[in-house]
Amino acid sequence: MKYYSFGEPSGRIIGYSQDFTVYSATIVRSKENVVQPERKVAPQGEFYFGYGPSTGGMIESVGIDFLTPGELITEARVNPNYKLRNLNVRGRTIGDASLIAERINAFHCASHSIAFASAVEDALGFHLPDGVGCTRIIALELERIRSNLLVIERMCQPAGFGVPVNQLALLREEVSRVVSRATGHRYFFNSISPGYSQLNLSGIDNAVSRISSVFSRIYDDLLESKIFMNRLINNGKVSADSLIGPAARASGHAFDARMDSPTLPYSQFGFTPVLHETSDAFARFQVRSDEILQSARIISEAIKVASTTSKMETLEGDGEGAARVESPQGDLFYYVKIKNSTVRDIVMVSPSSLNIAAFAQSMKGNIFTDFHFNWESFGIWISEAGVMLQ
Amino acid sequence: MSNLWFLNGIKKGIVTEKFPKTPPEDPPLWPSMLSGSGDAQCPVDAIDNNGWNMDKCIFCRRCLPSFKPNGNQDIFTVESEAPIFRRSLYIYPLDSGSCGGCNIELLNIFTPQYDANRLGLFITNSPRHADAIVVMGVFTEGMEEPLRLAYEAMPDPKIVIALGACAISGGIIGTPALERSRYNVRIAGCPPSPYTIIKALIAARGV
Repeated sequence: MKYYSFGEPSGRIIGYSQDFTVYSATIVRSKENVVQPERKVAPQGEFYFGYGPSTGGMIESVGIDFLTPGELITEARVNPNYKLRNLNVRGRTIGDASLIAERINAFHCASHSIAFASAVEDALGFHLPDGVGCTRIIALELERIRSNLLVIERMCQPAGFGVPVNQLALLREEVSRVVSRATGHRYFFNSISPGYSQLNLSGIDNAVSRISSVFSRIYDDLLESKIFMNRLINNGKVSADSLIGPAARASGHAFDARMDSPTLPYSQFGFTPVLHETSDAFARFQVRSDEILQSARIISEAIKVASTTSKMETLEGDGEGAARVESPQGDLFYYVKIKNSTVRDIVMVSPSSLNIAAFAQSMKGNIFTDFHFNWESFGIWISEAGVMLQ
Repeated sequence: MSNLWFLNGIKKGIVTEKFPKTPPEDPPLWPSMLSGSGDAQCPVDAIDNNGWNMDKCIFCRRCLPSFKPNGNQDIFTVESEAPIFRRSLYIYPLDSGSCGGCNIELLNIFTPQYDANRLGLFITNSPRHADAIVVMGVFTEGMEEPLRLAYEAMPDPKIVIALGACAISGGIIGTPALERSRYNVRIAGCPPSPYTIIKALIAARGV
């Protein structure tokens, strides 16, 4: 492992798995207590209101229990394990394991594929050429644009903002078509694997520039809507050192894996994270919006030096590796142990788990009608939180 | 100006494709119908002596160059049509254990490029109002009961639709959400594209 070591806690918290607590510089082989405390009996005058696991208001299956005297939420408990998937990865070839990593969360397949591929490449001592690193940056930033568009679209939806909802959905579909033309698949499946990346860069720059320009106008219009702002300002305030991703950056914390990536050359493009200070859903909306414009700029720079395709390398050998990328929701970490080109051990730490904890904390003191705005502002994906790699 | 959203929307004009009256404007290559012959290393046994089995396929490209995609989006099977829903079909999505891909592609049929509402296709937030349940993902213990309850809550007549390789066959992830015989419609893909989903939902109504 070139970029990570086992040891004492060092750096900021990245997240937890069954066996590991991961920090920005080290991996600790003991899990901190992240299990939610047992549900207490509702105090007199309050009751638990169950939402989900299957409900039309959410994209995925998730159960949420709200403790409330009627309107005010005094506690929120999120159960991402209704649709818990046990995925058998250990004992599989690197190629088959890569197929499964892609399917942990399809909407963020580029992040998962690149984090997994980087961990394998670290384990087997493969050096990624900078040009291929730039190709992967383009994939990550395209994914970020699409993911952030969805978050903002979903935040507009409960406000009944039909026009921006549809205009954002239009842009999101355009990004999917750009990805489809570049990779043959709308979600990057099979375009990134250990030792390999393939992206047809033709036409990406113009398409992204147009999408960014249209989005910029929608963003300006949304910022002028006092009704929309009122739903977001002071909604879901949360500020803690344990935040990651856009939630952290909306609290003024410069936490971003792109700043210290050892394999992806973000520093070539003068990357600095977008920061806002108010720690609420509005700040998260601003971070997501500003990052769409920033990602478009990064893509236009990276495309000048990216390699369209890398030689398909067959990676073989033994080793232990780890890698972390900044997915649209925050730090995504993979650890692998490879023996005879087979995955012997794998650990994935998803940003959605910490974001779920942050969401639960942020709901206290809000009212139920704040819920959808606040939930969507975290961009949580249950498929990467309710999953066990075995 | 935000108070001019309506005019802002009008100015955009119509962006919806004529599909399915005309061919898809921008279909993905993967997933689409595969054609070819010969041996292939398939991780999910979608290719055998009988050729290609769309229900099992996760479109991972391992079978290239023996099998190649041709862009045709008609990769679905309708076991029994339900003409009673030919004017409108209300669907209730149920995520039994998906990666989120099928979920988002199902939502995408309502984006302006596709606008499935114009074709009489609607999403409902309650199984009580649903004509069809769309099952996405593999079997998971925690969602077994919600799936059963949602199905029982739906009024008759009703249809069950499998969306994507995981729901149909388990894909490379696990076991299917329901037995194959329970599905009236099977929509192949990993995940299926919006074009495939729209075509399949229309075909399910016998239109």
